[in-house]
Amino acid sequence: MLRLDKLTRRFGDTTAVHAASLDIPDGQMVGIIGRSGAGKSTLLRLLNRLVDPSEGHITYGDTDVAALKGRELRAWRSDCAMIFQQFNLVGRLDVLTNVLTGRLHEMPPWRAMAQVFTPRERAFAIRALDRLGMAHTALQRAETLSGGQQQRVAIARALVQEPRILLADEPIASLDPLNARIVMDALRDINRRDGITVICNLHTLDTARQYCDRIIGMQAGRIVFDGTPDLLTTQMAREIYGAEADAAFDETATSTALAPSAARQRVPA
Amino acid sequence: MTDLPLAGDDAPRDAVAVFERHRAELRAARRVWTVIALGAFGLCLGLSVWVSQFYPDRLAAGLPRIFEYFGTILPDLRWDLLFEGRTAEGRAVPGSLTFWYADLWTYLELIWETILMAITATLLGAGVAFVLSFPAAANLAPNGRVYWVSRRFLELCRGIPEILLALVLVFMIGIGPLAGVIAIAIHTAGALGKLFAEVNENASPRPVEGIAAVGGSWSQQMAYGVVPQVAPNFFSYALLRFEINVRASSIIGFVGAGGIGQELNRVISFYSDDRVLAVLILVVLMVTIIDLVSERIRLAYIGRETPA
Repeated sequence: MLRLDKLTRRFGDTTAVHAASLDIPDGQMVGIIGRSGAGKSTLLRLLNRLVDPSEGHITYGDTDVAALKGRELRAWRSDCAMIFQQFNLVGRLDVLTNVLTGRLHEMPPWRAMAQVFTPRERAFAIRALDRLGMAHTALQRAETLSGGQQQRVAIARALVQEPRILLADEPIASLDPLNARIVMDALRDINRRDGITVICNLHTLDTARQYCDRIIGMQAGRIVFDGTPDLLTTQMAREIYGAEADAAFDETATSTALAPSAARQRVPA
Repeated sequence: MTDLPLAGDDAPRDAVAVFERHRAELRAARRVWTVIALGAFGLCLGLSVWVSQFYPDRLAAGLPRIFEYFGTILPDLRWDLLFEGRTAEGRAVPGSLTFWYADLWTYLELIWETILMAITATLLGAGVAFVLSFPAAANLAPNGRVYWVSRRFLELCRGIPEILLALVLVFMIGIGPLAGVIAIAIHTAGALGKLFAEVNENASPRPVEGIAAVGGSWSQQMAYGVVPQVAPNFFSYALLRFEINVRASSIIGFVGAGGIGQELNRVISFYSDDRVLAVLILVVLMVTIIDLVSERIRLAYIGRETPA
């Protein structure tokens, strides 16, 4: 169970996240929605401590996440994998090495610095890539791949971390509809099959409704909605999105609005 | 389409009028700064001419003397004896190339030593620069204190002229190439460290964040997130520095720190005859060849790293 207690983060005069309190049980797939600048991204970065909280607590089991430092903090990040909107791969390294960086925390320092990986680690990485259908690109430079392919490599990197939680910061916002669906299907598969908690920032409502067990709505740094998709009324959603409501609801206007996987023929290629 | 009013009744609130007024203000302010900058530049130029006494008449008076000196170091070659070998007693015939370049092997040995000095100094300096370029990059430094210390250290390294360092080192560890190598290496560390740090500051933060997010330590973030991005630039700058160091190590011998400069200094102070030109020609040849080869390597490498 991941528990946030009055978690707050300020940047100068602006409060990006304001007193966020949440309980997220293990194995849930959570979608965080809200307009741009609502604090979704900061909330996610607070969870793996890429951003430090100004106030409040984060606990996982009996670990006080907000107080972790040094090696323990790195261990937490290794347990709490993250994928990014812009993938954040190392473009000039090959795909396999990119995935293997997910093991860095488990490796002895000299091997990590010398970039020496054991056959077992390589096999583990290749299996993760294969699960995402990317094993054939293993020896290519990451920068030669398309956006959708890079995001799948990034998911493979997260998988080899053997995380307990997977954070996804707008994972499909830079992708075309087909790749967006592949990525979201992969995240749901990881959630269902491996039982990993997935917390996913999404810009569009339909994607959140379709893939997530639970939706959290954020507005100006505050959590204004928390419940199952069917509890999220149109009225509530309009409030969360404000002026961006029409863009977020209109499936034809956004590239990331997804049709259900069962109805593939409806997805424009 | 109807014509837009250029200045309607509500002129102050009209978008065009507001824009034009703003633009005029901006241009006026810029003009003032241009005049001030030009004035300051002119003043500095005049001051530096006066201080250095860079007057045309002095230059005109000195010019003939340059040729006078070149006259004294020109070899006295004779066409009929040019390719004459040594005599049976092992003497070179005056007027032949063999006579002019009687010490060729000494020169070549020293040129070889000069190149080795440049290679060693570049490798040592680039190594230190590489290590320090990460803490000395504003975006990568783990904290302000480390950043400040490494920046100041690099400044110190490149702030002291090589020749001065060499002079001190010759006193400390004696005459010979070691002093020269260390002097050039220190200067290289400072100069390359700054350049490397600037390359690091332009590196994309995304891969670094990616490595941070998998639980990578600071050094792992550097090794995996930054180094692959900056390696081609580092290599290119290091080669460029090698070219500079070849020139530097052929001069540094003047203070006894090894290499061909030591011989150049000796022939200038003791003989000032055709031997000076003999050495100078070899130095120029060496520098030119090294520059050409190094540039070839650099261009080939950059071409391979950045496909069109």
